Amino acid sequence: MSRVLLPALFGILVLCAWEAAVRVMGVPAYIMPAPSAILAALASNAPDLLAGLAVTLEVTFAALILAVATGVLIAVLLASSPLAERTFFPYAVFLQVTPIVTIAPFIIIWVSNIFAVLLILAWMAAVFPIISNTLLGLKSVDRNLKDLFRLYGASRAQTLWKLSLPSCLPYFLGGLRISGGLALIGTVVAEMVAGTSGTRSGLAGRLLEASYRLELATAFACFALLSASGLGIYAALQWLSRRLLRRWHESAREEQV
Amino acid sequence: MNAAAVTLRGVAKTFPSAPPSSGTPSSGTTALAPTDLTIASGSFVAIVGPSGCGKSTLLRMIAGLTPPSTGHVERAEGAVGFVFQSPTLMPWATAQENCALPLALSGIDGSLAAPEALARVGLAGFEGAYPHELSGGMQMRVSIARAMVTSPRLLLMDEPFAALDELTRFRLNDDLIALWKQNGWTVVFVTHSIREAVFLAERVVVMSPRPGRIVADIAVDLPDRSPAARLSHAFTDQCARVSAVLEGAA
Ligand SMILES: Nc1ncnc2c1ncn2[C@@H]1O[C@H](COP(=O)(O)OP(=O)(O)O)[C@@H](O)[C@H]1O
Ligand SMILES: [Mg+2]
Repeated sequence: MSRVLLPALFGILVLCAWEAAVRVMGVPAYIMPAPSAILAALASNAPDLLAGLAVTLEVTFAALILAVATGVLIAVLLASSPLAERTFFPYAVFLQVTPIVTIAPFIIIWVSNIFAVLLILAWMAAVFPIISNTLLGLKSVDRNLKDLFRLYGASRAQTLWKLSLPSCLPYFLGGLRISGGLALIGTVVAEMVAGTSGTRSGLAGRLLEASYRLELATAFACFALLSASGLGIYAALQWLSRRLLRRWHESAREEQV
Repeated sequence: MNAAAVTLRGVAKTFPSAPPSSGTPSSGTTALAPTDLTIASGSFVAIVGPSGCGKSTLLRMIAGLTPPSTGHVERAEGAVGFVFQSPTLMPWATAQENCALPLALSGIDGSLAAPEALARVGLAGFEGAYPHELSGGMQMRVSIARAMVTSPRLLLMDEPFAALDELTRFRLNDDLIALWKQNGWTVVFVTHSIREAVFLAERVVVMSPRPGRIVADIAVDLPDRSPAARLSHAFTDQCARVSAVLEGAA
């Protein structure tokens, strides 16, 4: 109860203080809009902003799904051979540590489809935690269980499906929770760098446009929608993780009284 | 009936030492010096010795999990069950699913055999329980049920009860004797407890470390192996005998 109530109360308190400060000091809306003005901007631009949000989330989810599929596949391949891991893992790290804004200009030149550009950049931001966590999970499989599977003549496919993948699930889900946020951040950064505009532009594009026009309330509304989406994604993945692990993993065990 | 279930001929195991140290041409760790051992079908053999004397290595070579460096292992036809020191259950699977694993891996439906095996170790009604919902002793029972589910001829157990409290261990010992009598298994039971070895086995093989080798092979003659036998003079005498051999070897 207090886990929801306390942060919510704090948030409301901050918003009230903000509203009061803006009104009392008479700050102009193009410098710092009051929460009520942001809410009004959100309401009046709702169809437009929600359309932008849909575009952004479409890229985000596509990138996340792609990151899961490729990340797990890459982790399984790397885990299957120490040589492969030693050879290729540094490049996964390279992918992670390179700021995607510095790669964006090249991708924009090489790929003409804007959706594909955003997808690639968001994927690059999101894939590493999936690879590294899944790989760690695959390498942490109980040795005795592995011996047991060997003793009973399990095939490689059986060992993968019945042993390796289930035992790396908690690790994978930990990576997924991080990747969900990164996919959104990657999409937003990519939208800003790629400078999309027009009706097919995402929320980040609209945020930039609004700020250029000094419509700060609208820009803040975009920001609020993006933050809420990030929180929503995290909460959804957290829920999924608990659901999948509830029956067996320490991390998701319901607290007993 | 007296056919050999397991025959080891000159079986030895040397593990290559981990870091290739500069200069000194290291020969690795000799976990087991060349060993001959015959285990009669239907017998209950205990292997005792201090830790590091190669008991696990010996058992794993019998199971075919570790290839011997030299010599060869012959095993009579039939399924093998292996019980590890820890229960080694899949935490994401129920007791029944864990128990049915050996069958599932060979494409056999275990929905009848698994509950039956669980019932035989006293876990009827716990089919749907997950490992974390079971006590340590119950988890070990699931592990034993899983080893039994393929109707093995040979049951290999590597210090299966070492992590359990004494009361639970005594109960599982009694259960194991009963199951062995019922099923006609050959059991090879590794332990570092002399009392456990003497109580369970008809034959105690004593090992000694550096290099791992068999130093004695003692027939245990206990008139009865009921729970009460733990207090009998015969039992204490046999324990003292094995103890003396073990100390002499160390
Ligand atoms: N996989 C391995 N690699 C290297 N050395 C090993 C390995 N397994 C066992 N050993 C070594 O072999 C010796 C015997 O080990 P083990 O059979 O486990 O003994 P026990 O089960 O009697 O305690 C020990 O010195 C141990 O360090
Ligand atoms: Mg051992």
